[in-house]
Amino acid sequence: MALQQNANQILDLVKAAGASGDLIIDQGQSLSLKAREGALEEYKVSSSQILGLRVIKDGKVGTAYSEATDPEALKSLVEQALLNASFAAVDAHESILANAAVLHTDDEVLCPHEDVGIDAQIDFALTMERNLAAKNRVKNVPYNGVQDNMGERHIFSSAGLSAYSKSRMCAAYAYALVEDGDKNAMDGVGQAARLFSELDLTQIVTRTHENCLSLLEGTPVASGHYDVIFDEETQVQLFHTFAMMFSGKSAKDGVNPMREKVGQLVADRRLNIVDKPLNSAGFGYALFDSEGAATQSTPLIVDGNLASLIHNSATASFFDLATTGHATRGPKSTMGVGLHQLEISKGEDLAQDLLGDEYLLLTDLTGLHSGANAISGNFSFGASGYLCQNGERVRAVRGITVAGNFYDMLGKISMIGDQQYWNWERSALMPHIRFADIAISG
Amino acid sequence: MLNTSLAQSVIDHAISLGADFAELFVERSQTNMVSTLSSHVQSVQSGIDFGVGVRLVYGTKVLYGYTNKAEEAELKRIVSELAAKDRRDPRISFTNFDYRRVEDKHAATRILSTDPEVGGKVAFLLATDKAARAASNMISQTRGTCGQVEQKIELFNSEGLHTGDIRNYTRAFLVAIASDGSEQSTGSWNDGGLMGWELVERMNSEAAGKEAARQALVNLSAKPCPSGRMPVVLGNGFGGVIFHEACGHLLETTSVAKKASVFHDKMGEMIANPVVNAVDDGTMIKERGSINIDDEGLDSQRTQLIKDGKLTSFLVDRIGSQQTGFARTGSGRRESYKYAPASRMRNTFIEPGNAELDDMIGSMERGIYASHMGGGSVQPGTGEFNFAVTEGYYVENGKILYPIKAATLISTGPKVLKEISMVGKDFALASGTCGSVSGSIPTTVGQATLKVDDILVGGNA
Repeated sequence: MALQQNANQILDLVKAAGASGDLIIDQGQSLSLKAREGALEEYKVSSSQILGLRVIKDGKVGTAYSEATDPEALKSLVEQALLNASFAAVDAHESILANAAVLHTDDEVLCPHEDVGIDAQIDFALTMERNLAAKNRVKNVPYNGVQDNMGERHIFSSAGLSAYSKSRMCAAYAYALVEDGDKNAMDGVGQAARLFSELDLTQIVTRTHENCLSLLEGTPVASGHYDVIFDEETQVQLFHTFAMMFSGKSAKDGVNPMREKVGQLVADRRLNIVDKPLNSAGFGYALFDSEGAATQSTPLIVDGNLASLIHNSATASFFDLATTGHATRGPKSTMGVGLHQLEISKGEDLAQDLLGDEYLLLTDLTGLHSGANAISGNFSFGASGYLCQNGERVRAVRGITVAGNFYDMLGKISMIGDQQYWNWERSALMPHIRFADIAISG
Repeated sequence: MLNTSLAQSVIDHAISLGADFAELFVERSQTNMVSTLSSHVQSVQSGIDFGVGVRLVYGTKVLYGYTNKAEEAELKRIVSELAAKDRRDPRISFTNFDYRRVEDKHAATRILSTDPEVGGKVAFLLATDKAARAASNMISQTRGTCGQVEQKIELFNSEGLHTGDIRNYTRAFLVAIASDGSEQSTGSWNDGGLMGWELVERMNSEAAGKEAARQALVNLSAKPCPSGRMPVVLGNGFGGVIFHEACGHLLETTSVAKKASVFHDKMGEMIANPVVNAVDDGTMIKERGSINIDDEGLDSQRTQLIKDGKLTSFLVDRIGSQQTGFARTGSGRRESYKYAPASRMRNTFIEPGNAELDDMIGSMERGIYASHMGGGSVQPGTGEFNFAVTEGYYVENGKILYPIKAATLISTGPKVLKEISMVGKDFALASGTCGSVSGSIPTTVGQATLKVDDILVGGNA
């Protein structure tokens, strides 16, 4: 096949230059639909392919990528990677793993067969927008969509690795703008599933409408320090924003503030965090990483102590450890590390205790990309949600900010709930955590 | 890049299926990125992006597809797939392509396809590192990057347009990390433009390193930020992100046409304090947000958005024009062939006024001087926005007292535009990248130092 031939041709050129290397080939097909005022506004299809090459010559690493696949482009890909390597500093730790395995993911799990026609998907998009637009006080549904994405990845290395994975993700989302006099609010809900038939149109419409109507009445609370619970979406966003604290790559580069704290107490003793790539219920399910190394469950925080950082083979070598199977690399990127599927263990606090007395439930955070500094841990975000009393939403809150230091916050845990929840992208599984004494401006 | 007869054949096919409009956007981009970590090269990356975007319009419905294969059969397959649900008898007839050569008003001299000049970029970044470390022994680390892109585009459409352009973008970043043993903080510097590596001729590595180090050291000594509603003086240059978020996105027909902008029905009305004059100008020579033509083939232009507080124009692309009736403003932009174009900002700024910085600071009983800003975001439907202060100071009784830690400022667009009470003389532009419906595109923001009388400051004191 052309793909295998291209890979062989590229890796033969790499070896002929006295280098070793690995090649990622990503291919994808996607469908995206958007509706407006009862008609289809956008219909988008794509078919893509990209090759990403990493070479190591004389201990120096270089990378290059190409979306063009003509013979000249493939030859240039190798030349560029080798040229780039010639400028790099010698890295004694990065190497192509001696891994000649033939690996294949489970299609039954990652892309189960489904007969679904385009008509059904268009109907879903139109119905979702129409039903939501017909709800009380909804002015329009400016942002909505249905997506069906299929992705394939091949990894080949000069050591003989041949790894293949294929996965599908279907998603739907809708954001509605509601108005009442001079008050307005916008909010939305999304869902992701491996099967289109698992998407729940009614739930998206109902929850989006409920959230919007609640926010419509939202006002700020007085500035002060509050007990705060982040909902299943915002809590995952918060932990992912500061995921650098687990990065062996950042530790190797000297910028991870947790670099010297492995084995030390960094959080409340009731906090246990593990990266669990083998839980097939989530979209972070992975059998091997970008080096073809087997993934495994990796305890990160155990009883409040930082148990481990996550590593690829290079960062592990730097710290004289074994890889934890967390290598990440895209066709356009250099080798890094990344979490697969974060899980926070259940706590022991019952809902009646967790949700007791007064607290703020934050359901939306804004400015995550700009308002956080993972090196210092300081953050300040826009926020909205609900002021709650004994589990009941007393009133909606918006136009506030939440600020603090994430690493200090890990020690300010008041309670950990006894139930776990997936976020809508199914990338993390966590119980609700109640944080004490968090600065709110209103 | 694409054979004209092939392009004609594909567009003919789209017309035969009843499309009101058909367009091919062909792109081949060369990229190069040099990264340093303190005093050594961390990585050098390069690559080629190549693909064709196909846009069909039926009424107000946009059908879009893309592929990496510039082959007739593949492009016709995409057209047929896109049009499958809408095919009908032809509505338009094809006009022969009339090639239109675009004058390059931003001609680059040191371009990637000639020489990536990796050695020169490495030398520049290592010099910035040296300067940053020389500033203080508390500077523990630096991270530098120099990125260069040469984007070649070609457009064909069913109205007979055939044109193309080459855009050269270069940008350099430095982040310095300061540490006192217990805490760490960061400071940054960047510069960039619609130009090749001749950017280096205006950059000063010594000044760049010192500036990143200065900011990191200021932030290391910062105290928790007070919170609550108060006046804020926003520094020039990247402080212009406030207008970009608070107003710019809300003037794009992408939001206006859907009535998802709070300004959608405010044309000709006073939406800002009369001291506010705002412009989106895609013609500024070699500025990062400039373009010779937009991604729909229309000449770029200068668009006066707000004049003396009154809304005078939206940012309008082809579909936005069709939906709102306003004339196109050369604002149809996209990250790459993977996106359909949408109305987007270019170089967006508030024009300078006459106020002095000392008078602005002196007028605050209790407030914040945000001398450097980070990024932000906005929800167009409600106008609620946020943006981050990366270097700020607490002000009391008209005096700057001490630096403050991370803070976010939040408000709504309509409210903050009316709260801008003083605009200074020290106008400056700053390069950035804006993410929205048609991907991440190069932009510039700008303003002179200005004062907002009331905004919510999210501190943690």
